[in-house]
Amino acid sequence: MRFHVDAWSPTYGASREAEGGPGESSSAKLDTDIELDAKRWRAMDPPSAVAAPRRVLLVDGVRRTDARIWIGEHPGLACSYAAGVVECTPGAAKLADAKVQRTIFTSADEVSDVGSTPALYRTESIIGADESDLANAVQRSLIELEITVSAAARADDDLLIVDGPLRSRDALPRTLGYVKTQQKQYLPDALSRVATSLRPGQRTPIFRIAGVYERLTWYLRLPGGGGSPWAGMVRVECSTELPEHVAIGLADLSAVTIPRFASVSYKDPRAPQNLVPIAGLEKRLRQLLGDPKLLHRGLVRASQR
Amino acid sequence: MVIGVSEGAPGTPVGRVLGTEDASPLTFWVAVNDGAYLQLDDVVVTTRDLHDLGPVTISGVVTSVRARHEGASFDSDVFMIADGMLPAMVQEAAEVTVTRVEPEVFVPPLPGAVAFRAEGAARDGALSFDRMTRRLPMGSGRDGLPVFLNADFLDGSRGAHVSISGISGVATKTSFATFLLYSVFRSGVFEEAANTKALIFNVKGEDLLFLDHPNTRLDERTRAAYHRLGLEAAPFPQVTVYAPPRAGDRSGSPDVASRLTGVDPFYWTLAEFCQDRLLPYVFADADDERQQYTMVVHAVTAQLARNAVEKDAGISLDGTPLHSYEQLVDYLVDQLNDDATRSAWAGSSVGLGTVNAFARRLISSKRDLSRLIRGDLPSGRNHRISTIDGAQVTVVDLHNLPDRAQRFVVGVTLKTEFERKEKAGTAKPLLFVVLDELNKYAPREGTSPIKEVLLDIAERGRSMGVVLIGAQQTASEVERRIVANSAIRVVGRLDPAEASRPEYGWLPPAQRQRVLLAKPGTMFVAQPEIPVPLAIEFPFPAWATRPGEAGAAPRATLASMISSTDPLKVVKSGRSSGGRSAEAPDDGIPF
Repeated sequence: MRFHVDAWSPTYGASREAEGGPGESSSAKLDTDIELDAKRWRAMDPPSAVAAPRRVLLVDGVRRTDARIWIGEHPGLACSYAAGVVECTPGAAKLADAKVQRTIFTSADEVSDVGSTPALYRTESIIGADESDLANAVQRSLIELEITVSAAARADDDLLIVDGPLRSRDALPRTLGYVKTQQKQYLPDALSRVATSLRPGQRTPIFRIAGVYERLTWYLRLPGGGGSPWAGMVRVECSTELPEHVAIGLADLSAVTIPRFASVSYKDPRAPQNLVPIAGLEKRLRQLLGDPKLLHRGLVRASQR
Repeated sequence: MVIGVSEGAPGTPVGRVLGTEDASPLTFWVAVNDGAYLQLDDVVVTTRDLHDLGPVTISGVVTSVRARHEGASFDSDVFMIADGMLPAMVQEAAEVTVTRVEPEVFVPPLPGAVAFRAEGAARDGALSFDRMTRRLPMGSGRDGLPVFLNADFLDGSRGAHVSISGISGVATKTSFATFLLYSVFRSGVFEEAANTKALIFNVKGEDLLFLDHPNTRLDERTRAAYHRLGLEAAPFPQVTVYAPPRAGDRSGSPDVASRLTGVDPFYWTLAEFCQDRLLPYVFADADDERQQYTMVVHAVTAQLARNAVEKDAGISLDGTPLHSYEQLVDYLVDQLNDDATRSAWAGSSVGLGTVNAFARRLISSKRDLSRLIRGDLPSGRNHRISTIDGAQVTVVDLHNLPDRAQRFVVGVTLKTEFERKEKAGTAKPLLFVVLDELNKYAPREGTSPIKEVLLDIAERGRSMGVVLIGAQQTASEVERRIVANSAIRVVGRLDPAEASRPEYGWLPPAQRQRVLLAKPGTMFVAQPEIPVPLAIEFPFPAWATRPGEAGAAPRATLASMISSTDPLKVVKSGRSSGGRSAEAPDDGIPF
């Protein structure tokens, strides 16, 4: 019996999607003829003239629910979330900016701030929201925070990589979305085989996914993933507003930039997709979130006043 | 993070007290500001405000420093960090061992409190210099500023004696001892410095015979180092050098190779040997004491003191004239071998084997001691080592004496000086005794007459005004009570195995490691008031430490004006200039 062991630690539930390939197929409309005609799709090597930018900025955010609360009948989520940007230049990677926010998302309407600095929770009222709406609000706030920090430390010659789909962040210049887990099968089987035949450092031609968030995207295989068809595969996105030749340029740039940052399995349970700077950034951001027990205790104490 | 300087701050801010390591009133850690640094031995001060007692100043010295990557979890992460892939921060931290809490409210400094590099009064306070009424400069700290010794702990007012340990050659033990003496004499800290005397035993080479010669290798930097300590860079002004008579020389001229002037010979006459009961010092090996013949030694000593009569330069015993140590030994052996006289000399209850053992040892001492115990030199000649009427510094050269003779000289000289101080009944003026290889004279195991004298000095010398500056390679091999009685402990470079012995328990772990790589001129000095030994560097000697370094001999040591001038030089300069030379006045020309 021949078998592959998932590179991702089993505690990350998404491993099947990461290793085994996309689980569900997508019904989204595709345009696969942008760079190459779909019939002539092949694995793309980056042109040798393309060099990685000197400054690469990577943005990520982390969030944590510190407590679930009830305001009368209304549910609430007390969350801490932080977003930061790492600036990687040759010889130094530094935290260019990081911001932490603490917010209580609730459907109650009569609300006030809770706690005191540095553990002060702002309160945001979303009338009529249920629990999943609240969770979405947390995600939305985090993305807003990520967009805020992304604006910091930008220069003309850099490349910004945001963790996760671009979504509403596609207005940022020279920005790539970086999707670690492949949950949806976008490509038809014939083109999917081009993706699974990629060697590390190669990408597919770019294609367009239509939908709420329309974007240009391509698959890229990172080194160090192991032998399974979708091992080390990531999907990179850019704004659909960009002219096609710019998007192709970005795709080539991503193929020379991102593989360098791939993590190794003995250090990171989500290797190689979880990029080294992002892993470091997440660790710093989680530190900035503060001690969960302390925050929880603070909320309990505030509730008893 | 940069912290602004506030008015009246005790120094420059260098960081903040850490909260990730426990801060205690005895040690705490400081995270160092970006761009700042703390090195070992830096003096750090921080304060804590107590609402009822006001500010408490907690000061100490840096005993450990470290730098690490924060945000890295694997050793190999350093490559990714250096490559610009993994965000991480370099953070330096320093461990501060508290030397003083003022007022004495033992509260820990609070994490986050600003730590300052102590300057000026704050540094003096941290190192307790402000509490010293008499501050004896003993070197400079890592910051280049003077480090002081509390003179109260040197001169016997509150403590006395210095114990210096370190590897031979690298640890510069004797250089430090002489520098300390120089500081005592010249710093002006001791009011009675002019009358203070020092007795130095020179055991290796002719190193200490040139204390009164300027060092030709002295440069401006060293002079400046002396000035910073408030001292002039100069040789010792008054030095008397004693050397043993040349072996086999009937005139008793001193046995020195390189120092030609101002050296006096020392020896004992047979009469002194008998009357002062010096025979036990011939048997001064530690293992001698374990032998049965100690009884015989004491019996013979008493008999000699009773019967010897001074005659000419020598003595006569029961009518037999004796004019050398060999003759005395032969006479004693004859007496002991003779059944008729044996019991009179050795006592009646002593076995023949014991007497023979004594005789064997006595015979073997002939070779070593015959040049020191004389019956052939005219009496009236000054030949005894004495600090009382000699110069300020008395150097006794032992380096070319065999072991037994060295023990004899050290034992007898120390005994004589100690008895003299005992009789004088007053501690002032002080007598400093510098003795290297203390482990030989006062070993941990066994007893010997010398060890008894040294123990006496260690235990009672403080009140007698005798201060022992003992040096040894290994303090672990020296009698515990002598080391324990030393108020001031000093180490230079130590052997790794030696540094781990309990005798150096007063060194904190970090300093125990550092002494393994202390370079010459660096010493760690522990004094009672300061809980952490201070690392100091003392300046290069301003006096010559070997013949090659010696400048012109001081005039006082010259026998006459004649010897101050090289006769050939006079002739030469006379010829070349055709007239008088400035350095050779008329009456100085020897022919």
